[in-house]
Amino acid sequence: MSSARRESIELLQGTLDLIVLRALATMGPLHAYALAARLEQVAEHPLTLNQGTLYPALVRLEQQGWIKGTWKKTEHNRDAKYYAITKPGLRALERQTSRWRRLASLVDKLLLSEG
Amino acid sequence: MASLRRFFLRLLSVIRPGRSEPDLAREIAAHLTLLQDELERRGMTPDEARLAARRAFGGIEQAKERHRDARSFVWLDDARRDLKYALRLLRRSPVFTFTAATSLATGIGASITVFTAVNTLLLRTAPGVADADQLVDINRTTGEIGVQPILYSQYLEIRERATRLQHVYAYGLNLTPMSLTVETGQSGAEPVFASVVTTNYFAALGVGPAVGRVFAERDAESVVVLSHRFWTRRFNADPAVVGTALRLTDRLFTVVGVARKEFHGNTVLAPDVWVPFDQSRPLDIGLVGARLRPGVSMAEASAEIEMIGKTLTGDPAPPGFGDPEARRRHMGLSVSRSSPIPTGVRILVGGFLALLTAIVTLVLVIACTNVAGVLLARAAARRREVAVRLAMGVGRARLVRQLLTETILLFLMGGAAGLVLSRVMSALVLRMLPAFPLPADVSLTQDARVVAFALGVSFVAAVLSGLAPALHASNTDVGSILKAHEHGPASRLRLLHAFVVSEVALSVLLVVVGGLLARALGRAGSVDQGFDPRGVDVASLDLSLAGYTTANGTAFMRGLATRVRQLPDVESAALAFATPSAGLMGFMLTVPGAADAQGAPLQAVGNIVSPGYLPAMRIPIVAGRDFSDADSPTAEPVAILGEGAVRRFWPGISNADALGRTIAVQPFLIDTSTRRRPTGAAARVVGVASDLVRVRMGDSPRPFVYLPLYQRYIPTIKLLARSGSGRRIAGDLRALVKTMEPKLPILSAMALEDEGGPVVTQLRIAAAIAGSLGIVGFLLAAIGIYGVTAYMVARRTREIGIRVALGAGPADIVRMVLGEGMRLVAIGSAIGLVLATGAGRLLVGLLYGVPPIDPITFAASILLFAGVGLAACYVPVRRAVRVDPMGALRCE
Repeated sequence: MSSARRESIELLQGTLDLIVLRALATMGPLHAYALAARLEQVAEHPLTLNQGTLYPALVRLEQQGWIKGTWKKTEHNRDAKYYAITKPGLRALERQTSRWRRLASLVDKLLLSEG
Repeated sequence: MASLRRFFLRLLSVIRPGRSEPDLAREIAAHLTLLQDELERRGMTPDEARLAARRAFGGIEQAKERHRDARSFVWLDDARRDLKYALRLLRRSPVFTFTAATSLATGIGASITVFTAVNTLLLRTAPGVADADQLVDINRTTGEIGVQPILYSQYLEIRERATRLQHVYAYGLNLTPMSLTVETGQSGAEPVFASVVTTNYFAALGVGPAVGRVFAERDAESVVVLSHRFWTRRFNADPAVVGTALRLTDRLFTVVGVARKEFHGNTVLAPDVWVPFDQSRPLDIGLVGARLRPGVSMAEASAEIEMIGKTLTGDPAPPGFGDPEARRRHMGLSVSRSSPIPTGVRILVGGFLALLTAIVTLVLVIACTNVAGVLLARAAARRREVAVRLAMGVGRARLVRQLLTETILLFLMGGAAGLVLSRVMSALVLRMLPAFPLPADVSLTQDARVVAFALGVSFVAAVLSGLAPALHASNTDVGSILKAHEHGPASRLRLLHAFVVSEVALSVLLVVVGGLLARALGRAGSVDQGFDPRGVDVASLDLSLAGYTTANGTAFMRGLATRVRQLPDVESAALAFATPSAGLMGFMLTVPGAADAQGAPLQAVGNIVSPGYLPAMRIPIVAGRDFSDADSPTAEPVAILGEGAVRRFWPGISNADALGRTIAVQPFLIDTSTRRRPTGAAARVVGVASDLVRVRMGDSPRPFVYLPLYQRYIPTIKLLARSGSGRRIAGDLRALVKTMEPKLPILSAMALEDEGGPVVTQLRIAAAIAGSLGIVGFLLAAIGIYGVTAYMVARRTREIGIRVALGAGPADIVRMVLGEGMRLVAIGSAIGLVLATGAGRLLVGLLYGVPPIDPITFAASILLFAGVGLAACYVPVRRAVRVDPMGALRCE
């Protein structure tokens, strides 16, 4: 078990959580499929990640109380679990976003000065 | 906050998996449907769309697995499942569960009991003190076993010079007997045991009062603090007693308060009262303790105290004894953590507890081996199940973990039962202790450390005894088992044999040790120890408590002896400093012309006795005469030697020829009335007595000497009276002393057989523990033998069938099965006897002259185990004889 691999998953998870929160904050309640579609839309390479990968992120966010899932009908009358962002979720998104920005700018600076 | 919330939800998910799983399945199904709808709308056929949706989604099972990972703690989830499974398995075989848990409970319980004693006596500080980890004892080190006193002047010097210690206090090792006289009423004098301490004692230990106050640094000398127990017993816990006056021995003391209930003193001795040190109450054996200053480590304090010890003012040396170099060695000082057992004798207590630890460890190992053996046999029965699970892709580590869970559960059950059982065992051991001549605190409490020990022992034992069977069970060749019905590899049988052999060996060891100790105990309570304790009652007196001195004490003693001999049923009576079994006095002897010392003093032990003591104790006088009333202080000083002393001093000289020779004797003891060591005096040998067995034991028997009591007055004496009718006469003795001298309390009264001293007490406890655990051990060994023989018969049913079919008679079959079982018993017993030989040698000091390779004990043990082996083989043999050859061959 290499620690490098674990770190990369860790980073990916954090990023994924942030993207999910952001998507729910801007687009309102979404089900997992719509979220996955949205993700593919944003990513440059569609299908870079399996749609199943979303589920751990969803359960994590739900357990943290940042999103809440409810079963509803879609416009085509299918069952789907819609996730909506909660108030603590919005606050967390704000925190995570600014943290992400700080981190990104720091890494940017470092990369620039090293280059 | 959010992560905490998540942690609890994950935990909850382990405990109650609930609806999460179906909900997830539903959500994934919905997800796939939506995806499929979308793809169909883009023009795919439904079949194509379904497959494409699956591809886009990725592995459904993997997604579920990751979801589970994120949702709960998977390892915990596994453990919960293992636990449930293990419980189901254990419930399914209640006999196995019960036997295993019971034997483990016995083994673990016994270990806990001994550990509790170790904890109470050696690891903990006495209960009731504050900040115990800062408390230290300051000890004199001489390199010898025993407690070395620190003189008061030396205490003051240490207190003055030690900068890294504070609250340096001193206390007497022994309790000082005092007599409490009640002015009104006719109850007479009652004994009270006092601890003489410096006035900073309570402050140093951080012990407060329950009522009133404790000593203040500047307290006057005539104050007393009561122990909570004494206050409750004697004054019905009446707070009004504070401020009143008590007459103790010859002086009035003001009661200033009662110490806190939890505090019984800083050693195992539990005094009734504490009185401040002063010139009239010397600390004959003074010990010193202190508290580390804040921020000072043990090592720093040690370094300082060792420095002080090197330059401390020495003892005033007894004239003519010891060279200056030896005296300087005596003055080493060291620091150790405060302990209820003084450092100098910790090794004695530790040695005894080590013996008990060895005994209980043996039982624990036997119990573990037994359970391991049964688990191994069960593993054989579960080979198919294991093979199926392996074939289904369960990891081996996972399987071992699951099999171990079962074992650990079993051991924890045993451990929990053991914890309860050890309370009962502790109570039984405490009941076995003799009546102490001094009040003592020996309560064995189970604190957190004991519980942690119980858990640890159970867990370690479980892993050790469960690992081999679990590895064995999981090490299965899947193909061969699923295909054929076969009874397991030969290596398993060998392991099982090894288990049974070691069980038998350890049980034999245990039974032999128990037998040796029991034989020694039998000898200790009989004439075999060189005197006859049967029917003798002993009462302890301290004549100084009633104000007697050298001037009038002897006359009182003579009168007392005469009056006791006139009591009904009294066959003989005498007075002595010590009984033959306990508390002998140390002497220094100078023997002109002695073989092994050119005029240097020799260490000896002995007793100061009245005329008639030797006949009353039935100690034979082999030459010369007993002391007589004519041996008075004004007459020529005389002595009686033990036979061993004669042989040691003057080799080759007959006992009769030793008579008339002169020796110089000086007792070690400090005379409490004059506070000085009595000076050495020449004495003429008038008699030679047979030695006590206790004195004969060991590598170099110590020379023994008797001195006449009426010539060398000592106030602390034992009154010994032998009853001719078997009736106990302790009550008569009490009544007589009370009529002769109401101010004189009887400090203790007991049967001489019960006194025994520390050696017999240790022997009694060790014999009882080894004996009762020996029974458990051989029952477990019997179960082990039965198990392996039965397994062997089951495994070889087919072979037996063939043999019978080929014409083997029942006798052949019996011989075959019995031979196998008894071979293990024989090998085990042989190993056990070899081990017992070694153990016997280690125990020789406790055995009262029973030879370590005692033929009776050894022969009895061999017979016992042969019988056990035969009994254990009975059922399997019967089963083997009844094997139906046709049936056995057909079922394959």
